Amino acid sequence: MADPRIHELYRGLVNGHLTRREFVARASAIGISSTAISLFLRAASVRAQDPTPVPADVAAPQVATPCADDGCLFSGQTVTFLMPNETIQVPLFEVRDEFEAATGAKLDIVLAAMNDTLPKLLEDVANETGTFDASIIGAWWMGELVEGDYLLPLDDFMQDPRFPQWDIETVLPGPRALMQYGGKTYTTAYDHDGQVFYYRRDLLTDDKHRQAFEQEYGYELPVPPQTWDQVIDIARYFNGKDLDGDGQPDSGVTMHLQVGQQAMFHFMTFSAPFVIGPENQKLYWFDPEDMKPLITSPGHVKAINTLIELSKHGPEAMFGWGLTAAWDYFLAGKAAVTFTWGDLGALAQETPERGGKSLVKGRTGTAPCPGTMSYYNIAAGQEVTVDTPNIVGNTTGGSWAPVISKYAKSPEAAYYLCALMATEQKSKTYAARGFDGCDPGRTFHFPPPNGTGSIEDYVKAGWDEQDALEYTDAYFKTFGNPLQFPYLRIPGTFEYWLALDTHLSEAVTGQVDPEEALEQTASDFEEITDRFGRDLQLASYKAALGFE
Amino acid sequence: MTQQAVPRQMEGALSVAGRIGGRDRAKYLFIAPAVIWILLITIFPLLYAARTSFYAFRSGRMLRYVGLDNFRRLLEDEALHDDLVRTLIYVAVVVSVEMVLGFSLALLFNRQIRGIGSLRTIMTLPLFASPIALGYLGQTIFYEIDGPMNQLIRSLGGNGIPWLSHPTWAFVAIMIVDIWQWTPFVFLVALAGLQGLPQDVIEAAEVDGASGWQRLFSVTLPLMTPILWLILLLRTIDAFKVVDIVISMTLGGPGRATELYGFYVFRTARRFFNYGEAAAQGFLLLFIVMLLVTLLWQRIRAIYEPER
Repeated sequence: MADPRIHELYRGLVNGHLTRREFVARASAIGISSTAISLFLRAASVRAQDPTPVPADVAAPQVATPCADDGCLFSGQTVTFLMPNETIQVPLFEVRDEFEAATGAKLDIVLAAMNDTLPKLLEDVANETGTFDASIIGAWWMGELVEGDYLLPLDDFMQDPRFPQWDIETVLPGPRALMQYGGKTYTTAYDHDGQVFYYRRDLLTDDKHRQAFEQEYGYELPVPPQTWDQVIDIARYFNGKDLDGDGQPDSGVTMHLQVGQQAMFHFMTFSAPFVIGPENQKLYWFDPEDMKPLITSPGHVKAINTLIELSKHGPEAMFGWGLTAAWDYFLAGKAAVTFTWGDLGALAQETPERGGKSLVKGRTGTAPCPGTMSYYNIAAGQEVTVDTPNIVGNTTGGSWAPVISKYAKSPEAAYYLCALMATEQKSKTYAARGFDGCDPGRTFHFPPPNGTGSIEDYVKAGWDEQDALEYTDAYFKTFGNPLQFPYLRIPGTFEYWLALDTHLSEAVTGQVDPEEALEQTASDFEEITDRFGRDLQLASYKAALGFE
Repeated sequence: MTQQAVPRQMEGALSVAGRIGGRDRAKYLFIAPAVIWILLITIFPLLYAARTSFYAFRSGRMLRYVGLDNFRRLLEDEALHDDLVRTLIYVAVVVSVEMVLGFSLALLFNRQIRGIGSLRTIMTLPLFASPIALGYLGQTIFYEIDGPMNQLIRSLGGNGIPWLSHPTWAFVAIMIVDIWQWTPFVFLVALAGLQGLPQDVIEAAEVDGASGWQRLFSVTLPLMTPILWLILLLRTIDAFKVVDIVISMTLGGPGRATELYGFYVFRTARRFFNYGEAAAQGFLLLFIVMLLVTLLWQRIRAIYEPER
């Protein structure tokens, strides 16, 4: 039998009570061989990674009660959690000690680059290895994973009183739909993505600018703008003006348009009200009869042309920008408007004094993404004019959420962990502090009259009150809009999207005409569909978007 | 029992068997680990990849046997053809520039001047950095708004260059990073070659009154030719496989302006999980590189073994 001192030392190492150097010194003193020490260190390496420290004033409250001896549900079990090495990992590291104390189980966190997380998970489940019990996935992976029969449905767990309780009904309808597939729930609540419109409130409400704008465009500067055409006028007006007081010309708009950096989400959000409307709520991607692409419709063409027009009022460099660069530009006060995820609203509160880089705290207005005054109804094959702006909600993005592998070795313990992070007390903190990448989407995230939350939670987490009010209101309206952009979640989704992303990039950089870009996208869609099997794809498409 | 004559062919076989069974057994035992190792790390993956290339995949699993479909698609895939042409241009440009620059620097540094050791070390530093790190550094250097490169250009009175947002300039930018990383390799090997040249031949040319250029083109270059061919061979093979720089700098964009073949294969396998087609694409790259290597190798052998 192994020396119990070895166990004690190892526990000290993995729990962070001993540094590596202390571990080596003590292990050597009790005569452990250097080979064994090296093995211990390697085994402990994952655990020894330091999490991003959470400041005490925004730490999530303890929810689970520590267990003792026989009362520990999962003593001796280990949950191995595959996690993207991004800020979204913060809650997982934060909850680790609480989870271990409450269940007796051990939590190993394996970090992977964002783009490597799905390949690692997919290899693991496709080979039925079961290395990972749980992981965080983007919603577009759902088709791949559920259709592959790789995930455990969580519905039974959710009814089990042994686990921390959370209510899926608290998730607004838009993001809730992404947690389910084929009538079953596969993720717990975590992050809720959707794109909203951000604008510099100080600039758009400035009298001098308002007068000049009205003189130039013949109508009052709308705050917030209601249509994309108004946004183009606003971006055109502010482009080239000094917006941050450094004497240098700045930009009307900033976007992340680098290929491979989620520019297709910009197009999806932007194009939604050009295609989706009261008379066409679902037809955007494919014809549900034969899986023929619809991406070349007049609505899509009008959308891409309008997006290109908007992009002319931003820095040329943004054609090579990913998320961070585009966000940083706005945070530095160098752009008047943008549209992107909730992260930007939270990052806008992180001033240099708080360790961030935002110069626009208290000046960042948020609104649902604007709409159009007409859209192309694909089903009827005609343009439909509307009296009030046609605004479409969206859940574009990842809505990163935990799933449990069908081959998990400790599925119940894994669910306990996921459910713990989905509890109301914790979820409220995650959404309010924002820097952890968990965006709001549940009723208690929104202050009255929209929900049961409190604006104080946001103010305590460092938000400017007006910024927080507009931000939460914009998200509530975006997720609560009965018209929602149809989210694609079938096998090969990422490949379809990358085709769109690539040709969109070609169009905005002038390499091909916008119409040609969409035609090439459609051609790529056809090739992908044929390769995956048209009948299989059609069945997945109908199931995922509820066409049956 | 009738004694029969042993056929001549069988005599040879028996002789080999006898040697294996006898004192030569140790020899085979010694090389066995190496053979097993090669089988494991080369032959097995190769055979596995060959098998994979005959299958369609869905959701990370083999879906069905598709015969030569994945190879047929290589012929039809216009994006892949574009990437192949782009890669050939990339390889031709970066390897040519690296060869000229690296050899020129080696000539420059092949002399005794103060601090030459330190300078040589500094020269070779990029070689030891990981390509992905250099790519990210490149992204910073070529950052368009206020990156060091554009700041330098503006301080000299020029306009900033759209390094990463313009298709042509983005292609130039990734080539510059490749050249930055791999010129030191050419420099290092060429310098070693220069220092190994017989000095008496060069001195004899000097005594005969040959000018510096004459010594370079009539003595040094001919003597260096085998080494330069070897460097060319190694760099060409390597340049075809470039992935890291593209991933870290441009992700193949804008559009597909910097999408190189290696990146295309990587994406097919690791982003689309279409392992069957990726395997077929890998074999095409293998075939092209082997063809080039064979041609270059024939050239090198012709230099070393002119009598053949």
